Amino acid sequence: MKMKYSGYKGKILRINLTTKKTSTMEITDEFARKYLGGNGFSARFIFDMVDPRIDAFDPTNVVSMMTGPFQGINIPTAGKYHMATKSPLTNGFFDSISGGHMGAEIKYAGYDGFLITGRSDKPVYVFVDDDNVEFRSAEKIWGRLTSETQEMIKEEIGDPKICVSAIGPAGENRVRYACVITEYRAAGRGGVGAVMGSKNLKAVAVRGSGTNEVADPEKFEEWMKWFNEEVKKVPALASGLPTYGTPVLVSSINNMFGALGTRNHQTEFFEGWEGISGETLKKNYWDKDTACPACPIACSKVFSDKSGKWKGAISEGPEYETIYSLGSMCGISDAGAVIKADSLCDEYGLDTVSYGVVVAFMMECYQRKLISKKMTDGVEFKFGNDDAMVGFVEKTAKRIGFGDLMAEGTLRAARIIGGNSERFAIQVKGLEIPGHSARALRGMALGYATATRGGSHHDPRPTGEYAGVSDRKAVEGKAAWVIGTMQMTTIGDSLVNCHFLERLLGFTLTQKYVDMINPVTGFGYTYNELVDVAERILDLERAFNVRTGIRRKDDTLPRRFLEEPIPEGPSKGMHTDEATLNRMLDEFYELKGWDKRTGIPTKEKLLRMGLEDVAVVLEKL
Amino acid sequence: MKMSVLLATEKKPLIRFDMKKCAFCKICEFSCAKFHYGKYGDAISRITIIRKSPLMFKCLICTRCEKRYCITACPTKALSYKNGNIVVDEKLCNSCGDCVKACPFQGIRLHPETKMPIICDLCNGDPSCVKACPKGALSLVWLPETRK
Repeated sequence: MKMKYSGYKGKILRINLTTKKTSTMEITDEFARKYLGGNGFSARFIFDMVDPRIDAFDPTNVVSMMTGPFQGINIPTAGKYHMATKSPLTNGFFDSISGGHMGAEIKYAGYDGFLITGRSDKPVYVFVDDDNVEFRSAEKIWGRLTSETQEMIKEEIGDPKICVSAIGPAGENRVRYACVITEYRAAGRGGVGAVMGSKNLKAVAVRGSGTNEVADPEKFEEWMKWFNEEVKKVPALASGLPTYGTPVLVSSINNMFGALGTRNHQTEFFEGWEGISGETLKKNYWDKDTACPACPIACSKVFSDKSGKWKGAISEGPEYETIYSLGSMCGISDAGAVIKADSLCDEYGLDTVSYGVVVAFMMECYQRKLISKKMTDGVEFKFGNDDAMVGFVEKTAKRIGFGDLMAEGTLRAARIIGGNSERFAIQVKGLEIPGHSARALRGMALGYATATRGGSHHDPRPTGEYAGVSDRKAVEGKAAWVIGTMQMTTIGDSLVNCHFLERLLGFTLTQKYVDMINPVTGFGYTYNELVDVAERILDLERAFNVRTGIRRKDDTLPRRFLEEPIPEGPSKGMHTDEATLNRMLDEFYELKGWDKRTGIPTKEKLLRMGLEDVAVVLEKL
Repeated sequence: MKMSVLLATEKKPLIRFDMKKCAFCKICEFSCAKFHYGKYGDAISRITIIRKSPLMFKCLICTRCEKRYCITACPTKALSYKNGNIVVDEKLCNSCGDCVKACPFQGIRLHPETKMPIICDLCNGDPSCVKACPKGALSLVWLPETRK
C-alpha cells in the first residue's frame, strides 16, 4: 500500500524457517510515525511476537532485520541496517547495527524489514529477490568463513551485485556473542549471529530492483548542503575520523583521560599504548580508507601487518573498541596481533569486543590461579600472550576444548569458574563492556547500568563527556544527561543512522535531528514528539526486559567498578560507588517515569507514551 | 552541445577508476540514479562498485570498449555508438537482454520498470559520479579512438 509518508515501503516480510513460508505485513502511516523504523519497529515487533520467557535459541525467537526511513537514500552515515532479537547473552531485547549496503538493498527489494522465525531442519540461506523469496540449501556453505560464504552465495546466484549478511562458524555453534557480517562490517554485539545459527540460517541474501525517495527533495537538498558545509567545521568528522578512523581515540583516552581499560581493568592506563595507537596504525599499518554506503567520512580503515610477527594479517578495522578489547585489555601492544585476531573474529563471526573481554577475563582468572593450564588446553593464559589471544578465536568459534567455555561469555563463565570471579567479569546484564570507562566517565557508569542492552556504548554515549560538554565527574544532573544521550541513540538506531553525527547534531536529542528527519519522511515532527518517540521505544524495550525478570537490582555494574577506584593515571581515584550509583538511579527512574523501587515503567508513563496494551501486560506481572 | 561531447567524435571517453582511492561508499551509484531518475536505487545506477576482498574493488560501468560487444549482440540493431556513448533506440529495442549478457564489463543492465538497457551516458559530458566521489577515485579521461 502506498504510504503518505516517505522513506518507507509499507511492508514487512515475515519469513518462517520451519514451514518455509513467507507472508507480508503492512506498515501503516500511524505505525511509522509512532515507531520511526529500525530500533523502534524491532522493539514493537519483538515485544508482540516473542515470549520473553523462552530461551534465546528457542525456534520461536525472532531475528529482526530492519531499516529506517533513511536507507537507500544518499544520506551521509545512513548506510546501515539494524538487527534485533532476544539475546542469548543478556536474555533481553537486543539490537545491533551494522554498516553495509544491506539496508538500502532491503528497501530496494520493497520492504522495510524482515522478521525471521522458526527453525529450518537443514542449513539454509534465504534469498529475497524483490517479491520472490527462496529458501536455498546451505549445506555446502555451512562451516565456511563469512567472506567465503558471501562470495559463494554471489557466485551461486550469479550476481556479484547482491548483498549478503552471513554468520560464520561461531554463529553455527551458538557462541553467545556470535555476530552477523555484511561485506566487512558486523552487526557485532549481543549474539544475533548465534540466534541465526540456532535457526540453521547461514545467511540472508537480498537483491532489490526498486528505489527510495524523500518527501521533500528541495528541503532535503538544502539539508544536504547544510550538512556538507557544517561537517567540514567539526574536526573529528573532518579530519580525525577520516585520517585515523576510530583508533584516533586510543592516545587521548589513555593519556588524557587515563581511561583505557587495561589487563581486564586492573588499571586504566596502558603503558604499551603507543604500539596500538591510531597514529602508529596510520603510519605503519594503513592500506586504505573505506566507508559505509553514502558516507563521505570514510572512518573505516584497512590495516595490515607489513613486517611484524603477524606479517600478512589484513583486516578492515580494528576499530577503537577492538583495540581496547584485544589489545590493552589483554595487555597486548602489538597492533599486528590485534589486526590478525580482528580479521579472524570477522571471518569466524565473533564479536570482537566480547571476545577480547572474555580473553582478558580468562587471563585474570589464570593470573589468580582460578584456572590452570589443565583447563586451558595447555596454553599459558598470561596477559600479553598474543598467541593465546589469536589462537583461541577459532577454538572459541568452534567450541573446541577451553573455547567451549569462552563461547559462553564472561558472566556464564564466571559462574562456572566460581571463586568470586564474577566480581571482575567486565559485563553488565551479561554483555561485555566496551572501551569507555565506567569509572572515569560518570555518565557511562549510570548508562551501562541502565541500558537495555547492558554493557553497550551505543545506548548511552561517552562522546559528550570526553568533549567536556557534560562534566565527566559530576553526579548532579547526570541522570538527565544520560537520558538525553539514550534518546539520541534510540532515534539514531531507529533511523538507522550513525551515532558519529552526534558531534554535529548534538550529543543528546536536539532540534537538529528533527530538521534531518522531516524533509525525508514528511512527518512534520515537533521536537517534543520526537522525544516521545524515543521514550516510547525505550519504555517498550524496558517492558520486554521487565518481563524477562529485569528489575532495579539488575541495573548495576561489575563489583570491581563499584569498589575499586582507578589505581593510577589522570583519573586516579575515580569510580562510582554503590551509594552514588543508587543516588543517580533514583533520579534516573524518577525522570523516566519508572518506579523507583522496582525499575518498572509506571502505568502513567506508558499511557502517556500511547502504550496502553503494554501497560495492561505489565499490570498482570 | 558541450565541448566534451564534441571531442568524443575523435577521442573516446573513459570513466577511470582508481581502486586505491575508492572507499566503497557507493556515493557514485546514488548520484548516478539521482541524476538520471531523481530517485535512489542501485538497480537504476549505471555504475556499480563491488568488493571482492579488503583491498580488491571493481567498478562496473560501460568502458566504450573496442569490440562493442553489445552492439554486435543486439538482434534488433537498437544500439549504436554516437559521440562517445552507446545509444539505445528505444523504438527498436525489444528488451531481450542480449546486450546485458554480452557485456564482459557488466556495464549494462535493464531498467527494472521500462526494461530498456541503461548505459553510462556521461551525464551530458559532466559525469555526476565523478563530481560526487569524495575520494577522487573516479575521473573522466579521453583516450585516442583506435577504432574506425
